[in-house]
Amino acid sequence: MAVQKEEKIKKLCEAVVAGDREAAIKVANEIIEGGLDIIDAIEKGLMIGAKEVGDKFDKMEIFLPELMMAADAMQAALNVLLPKIPKGEVPRKGVVVSGTVKGDIHDIGKNILVAMLRANGFEVHDLGVDVPTSKFIDEAEKVGADIITLSALMASTLGGQKDVIDYLKAMGKRDKFIVMVGGGPTTKEWADEIGADGYAETASEAVKLALELIEKKKRRG
Amino acid sequence: MVTFMDVIERALTGQPCPERDYDLKIFSAKLREIIREHDIKCDPDNPIPSDDSLADDIFEAALTFYSEVGTYCTDTERIIKFDENEIKERLKVAPSRITFGEGIDAGTLVPRKPGGNTRPWLFVGAGGAAVSSEEILMKLVESYAKMIPAANAITTPALTTVDGIRIRPRSPLEVLGAIRTVVLSREALRRAGRPGLPIMNCIGTAQSAVALLGGLHPDFGLRKSDGYMISCLAELKTNFDFLNRAAALLSIGVPIGAIFGPIMGGYCGGPEGTAVTTVAYHLMGSLVYQAGWFLSFPIHMKYIASSVPELLWVESVYAQAISRNTHLLSLYYNYTAAGPCTEMCLQEFAAEMITAIVSGVSIETGEVAGGRYEDLVTPIEPMFAAEVALASTGMKREDANEIVKKLLTKYKDKIANPPLGMKYQECCDIKTGKPSKKCWEVYNKVKKELSDLGLEFKH
Repeated sequence: MAVQKEEKIKKLCEAVVAGDREAAIKVANEIIEGGLDIIDAIEKGLMIGAKEVGDKFDKMEIFLPELMMAADAMQAALNVLLPKIPKGEVPRKGVVVSGTVKGDIHDIGKNILVAMLRANGFEVHDLGVDVPTSKFIDEAEKVGADIITLSALMASTLGGQKDVIDYLKAMGKRDKFIVMVGGGPTTKEWADEIGADGYAETASEAVKLALELIEKKKRRG
Repeated sequence: MVTFMDVIERALTGQPCPERDYDLKIFSAKLREIIREHDIKCDPDNPIPSDDSLADDIFEAALTFYSEVGTYCTDTERIIKFDENEIKERLKVAPSRITFGEGIDAGTLVPRKPGGNTRPWLFVGAGGAAVSSEEILMKLVESYAKMIPAANAITTPALTTVDGIRIRPRSPLEVLGAIRTVVLSREALRRAGRPGLPIMNCIGTAQSAVALLGGLHPDFGLRKSDGYMISCLAELKTNFDFLNRAAALLSIGVPIGAIFGPIMGGYCGGPEGTAVTTVAYHLMGSLVYQAGWFLSFPIHMKYIASSVPELLWVESVYAQAISRNTHLLSLYYNYTAAGPCTEMCLQEFAAEMITAIVSGVSIETGEVAGGRYEDLVTPIEPMFAAEVALASTGMKREDANEIVKKLLTKYKDKIANPPLGMKYQECCDIKTGKPSKKCWEVYNKVKKELSDLGLEFKH
């Protein structure tokens, strides 16, 4: 049993690293059928595979297509495994609503962030590009998000990040969500000026920051 | 011959495809396959290769690649495709010269060849960098025209505010900002005594079609002899907003420039895929926007800079591929990691300009510090870049390769943590526009370094 378990976990990890969605689903089903520990499979299989992919992407040993396929494989396996775990025991890092702000149609930076967050165990709701201000908030409330991430690639679209934060304040909901900003022209100074909770220059920094901010929020209660 | 109406029809009737499938199953998958088939390999230790067959191979790969993947229209969620014959036909009839500007400031953009003596077209300025005030915008444009006598065309900065309010896309603020950019830039060129100099990025502040069209009225000062840019979306995509601009600009009859920045590390993968994609973008611009000139800015996903060895290789091989195999009017645009008034920034500019010029294209002087910071811009960098471009004209690729390798040793290790330099307000006198003593010292020091490396400055 122990050998079988280790073998399946290793295969799950390999399926994520290879970005093989079908293999990830197959192994996830075998884990359930074999009555193996699902939380172990997630933490020692999926998460380890995801970390390897994230590290490789950071070093540019693999590129965006491979990262996205790995995140897809991981999500597909999670879709099979998570419904079998009692709700309170689900090992999830946090729930994130991500999108590129209104008026901005650039999606690559946002796609990298979404894939990296998913690969690191976050549940991400990707709203796409040119997202209306209120949609970020509606979706965050609907899915019970911890974090809203706002991407902007142009100096002329940065204002959209401020609009979401101002809107949250005006509705008295600012403290409900952690707001992170990023994208080409975004800087730490800008994030401070508009009252964002965090700013990251790269997707991997964003993942670290998201974990820190969630931890901080939990400590505050 | 493919017409613009054919493009629109194909956007409406082409193969339906979800965007994610286009990105991963069509674009990326086919690109990987074609690189394997052509056995294209990057050699970052030699950023300027002299192997003509490599350039020709990349061109052939791009031709096949683009005929198979086409351009994705995000509004119709369909693929606009062209067969190889249609692409080749278009390349034959694409403009081989365009005259920009008026009166004594007019000039003609012509194709160049690797190592050729043809004087490069010098499109200089802010590269659309963001500035916080109208005063800085005007002073910068005036300085470009005054301080860079060799300039053939000007690129204006982009305003981020109107009367102190931050511009929002597709808003009245963007329309007003676009109009002000044109009016003020024209006035700045008049003050510099070069009123006929063309503005080749039409309206830096206009990110949307509505702002562009708002600023186009002749009362504001744009002319048919200016340049009109339309962006391509990464990678190889377009949408109705960009096609709307093409529809209007083609009907007015002005020279359209297709601009594109393939991302190394993104869907293109590594340097090989980025090089093939950069060439494919020229084909896309020529057909989809019926563009007459082209501006490439391949960029590093992580560093938001183009001065890393792998991207210098991309710059060189795409430029050689285009200039050896077509008469397309191609310009290169760079992103430095370091900011103004730093030695590193000028060293990066030098490496990029030398690479572009000896590889057979012309230049637009690029953005500094990844173009991420407001007011991080001075007239020194474009002036220096233009001087390096002229000094490297006619140089052999082999000799340029050795100089660029030496330049890389000076800054390569600092790219991850570059010095950000200083803002315009710290570098230049806001009233006179004159750069500070410190700026000139840095400029003179790096210029001497380059002379010592063998570059013969004409200015």
